[in-house]
Amino acid sequence: MALTAPWLCSFLVSCGVDPVDGRPPDADQAPTVSTLTIEPRSQLIPTFPCSQCHSKLTPNSTRRQLTAFHVVRNAELDHGDRSLWCYQCHSIKNIDKLVIANGSLVSFDEANLLCGSCHGDKGRDWRAGLHGSTVGYWRGPKSRKLCTNCHNPHYPWFPTMTPEPPPAPAHGGGETEK
Amino acid sequence: MATNESPRRNGTSDCSAHGDCEQAQLARAEAGPSSTRRQFLTMSAAVGASLAAGTACNDPAFQAYFQKHYLQLTDADKQRIFERLEQEVEQTKGVRVKISDPRPLRNVQFAYALNLSVCNGNRRCVEACARENNLPDDPQIRYIRVVELDNVTHHLERGNVYYDREKVPEPGKYYLPVQCHQCKNPPCVKACPTKATWKERDGIVVIDYNWCIGCRYCQAACPYHARRFNFAKPNIKPDKINPDQGYLSNRLRPMGVVEKCTFCLHRTRKGRYPACLEACPTGARKFGDLNDPSSEIRKILKEKRVYVLKEELGTEPRFFYFYDD
Repeated sequence: MALTAPWLCSFLVSCGVDPVDGRPPDADQAPTVSTLTIEPRSQLIPTFPCSQCHSKLTPNSTRRQLTAFHVVRNAELDHGDRSLWCYQCHSIKNIDKLVIANGSLVSFDEANLLCGSCHGDKGRDWRAGLHGSTVGYWRGPKSRKLCTNCHNPHYPWFPTMTPEPPPAPAHGGGETEK
Repeated sequence: MATNESPRRNGTSDCSAHGDCEQAQLARAEAGPSSTRRQFLTMSAAVGASLAAGTACNDPAFQAYFQKHYLQLTDADKQRIFERLEQEVEQTKGVRVKISDPRPLRNVQFAYALNLSVCNGNRRCVEACARENNLPDDPQIRYIRVVELDNVTHHLERGNVYYDREKVPEPGKYYLPVQCHQCKNPPCVKACPTKATWKERDGIVVIDYNWCIGCRYCQAACPYHARRFNFAKPNIKPDKINPDQGYLSNRLRPMGVVEKCTFCLHRTRKGRYPACLEACPTGARKFGDLNDPSSEIRKILKEKRVYVLKEELGTEPRFFYFYDD
């Protein structure tokens, strides 16, 4: 099937003719424009907005072990060699927002701006679509997960998983391959 | 003759009159080295019965037997063949399926990239591929094999595809999924004696399952162990059949033919991502158009440390492996 003359192939392609089957290609069945949606995060947090409790509390900026609602976070919080604490990422002025290093507030649905302020290489790759999960259409509407939809920001290592079962042995188990 | 068996040909590819059909069938009945008088009489009776009905050439079994090569089919031929195949599935499995034949997109060259820094060997891709592409569980066929390798080694033959662990990733190991690399210079295509497999304009290597004679030369030629053979009639439960089927990709295969990954061409030629990519929970899998400078795949090739398997063979795979840093 293969045509060995490259000039002929390129000639046929330039005529809009398939060099393999000699027929013109169909009109594109795929969308021609890509659009990107970022999957929101805040609506996946059961206790959001945080202000529904925190509006009744006085903010305390002293670093301490939490003893009330967020007690589990004490053990779980392992990010940045355990050097971080709540108000380094959560805003003390507006508890429904996150705060980035330059002091500006961002929503939970823009967590990439906060994560990327330390993890710049990952932030850049995520923006380019190289890091993280993007689903839908390679050309057309696509949807990308936010950093915090895959990584728990308080314990950011990707969790270990139970794998799907191994394949059946080739040739009914007679193969010597491991 | 069962319609779902691989058709074998004896030189004639068309039938113009009932007399030809009769002669062809008689010739086959007589030619077999183990022909007995009983087989001959049985065959003659069968031919006589079908001639009496006057429908030998319209019989689905006959049409499947003398079907032309895919590249010689007209749109009308395809329409008729797809309907026949759809009816066959409905009769044997009780499932209504839709067989389509999306052609390559204009100016698109597909390529795949896989991030070895984040793949954790969970095999979700393997199972999603099986469901999407109607792969049988018994006997089991899987297009993707995930190889578990020791860190800082790259000896594929010492890898383990049968790892069975409580949790992955196992410390000290890394995971390398392998599937069809859609080579730019595919050895499998050269090996095929019947031209039942070829490379399409968008870079996908496809198989006409109705033209494959099951010699398995392509399987031997593939350096990536990407091709699978249907040793037995594929046994797939009706509730697991994906009704969105491509003639050159995931339609139900007969026994005795070779199959492999097609980058889910029935999805990707309509703009969608392949099923394995969407199933990956780690985001390791990236897919796109090499001709589009803004595509993810081009950025990976430009910015990341990229390699291909067995580069020295000159197959020029369209499947790249890369690392984050």
